[in-house]
Amino acid sequence: MVVALAGNPNSGKTTVFNNLTGARQHVGNWPGVTVEKKEGICRWKGRSIRIVDLPGVYSLTAYSPDEVIARNFIVEEKPDAVVDVVDASNLERNLYLVVQLLEMGAPLVVALNMMDEADSRGYRIDVERLSQLIRAPVVPMEANRNRGTQELLDEIAKVTDKEIRIPELIVNYGREVEEEITKLESRISSAGDLAKRYPPRWLAVKLLEKDQQIVEVLKAVEGG
Amino acid sequence: MRDLMPLAMVGSGCTVQIACVRGGMRLQRRLADMGLTPGVVVSVLNSQMPGPVILNLRGSRLALGHGMTMRILVRTV
Repeated sequence: MVVALAGNPNSGKTTVFNNLTGARQHVGNWPGVTVEKKEGICRWKGRSIRIVDLPGVYSLTAYSPDEVIARNFIVEEKPDAVVDVVDASNLERNLYLVVQLLEMGAPLVVALNMMDEADSRGYRIDVERLSQLIRAPVVPMEANRNRGTQELLDEIAKVTDKEIRIPELIVNYGREVEEEITKLESRISSAGDLAKRYPPRWLAVKLLEKDQQIVEVLKAVEGG
Repeated sequence: MRDLMPLAMVGSGCTVQIACVRGGMRLQRRLADMGLTPGVVVSVLNSQMPGPVILNLRGSRLALGHGMTMRILVRTV
């Protein structure tokens, strides 16, 4: 079983990784500490879960190599669950990545980290309501005090065991764009292998964005 | 366009509204990814040379190079 850890830089992703895997690596607090692919094994209730720490990113466009690495891992390796570590004290910016992951149809669990920091800023977050709105589990955490790790693992298990299914989020891009998406989507769906590798709607949106990396992938497919 | 000015010209401590980004798709997309979208209100925390322009944007801080801030047009609020 494979679980990927995604999240904005400085959301406490590496701390969550260490809590899950028991690794005692040095955790720096300068931006972008995670540059290489880190992996660890989490042993929990007789299971052995492979945890992959993805680079910290704000978005899943193909802007930087970090973003491409994070995105490709989720799309191509299809982990059994994706945990998005979210900084609760900075919810608005962090929810952007949440939406992008939901659009990809990722089996998402949101780790709402730094709840203490949010509290001290006077933010009251309705965790249940948030979970209802995004239609994915949300687990409040304080990773620096190792709080919430068991609850996070419970939710991860529900997703990997297919006890709950996270629905793909459909963002309405307006009539004109939607028409083009529908056209591309049906062409992608009839292209066999491609639709198995990538969610067709997501691929269509990326093509309309002229996402360089996705355009390259398609060229390779068409050429072969 | 008359009341617009580059973000680079805004002094520290001022609050302005983002009007538009004069740049290619890539820059616009990147800035939008960071939450810098037309209409959003930002306050300039530091704009001294040398060093980046530091903004308070949607509750988080964002540092941008001076070159980039020349391409972001803002209006006073």
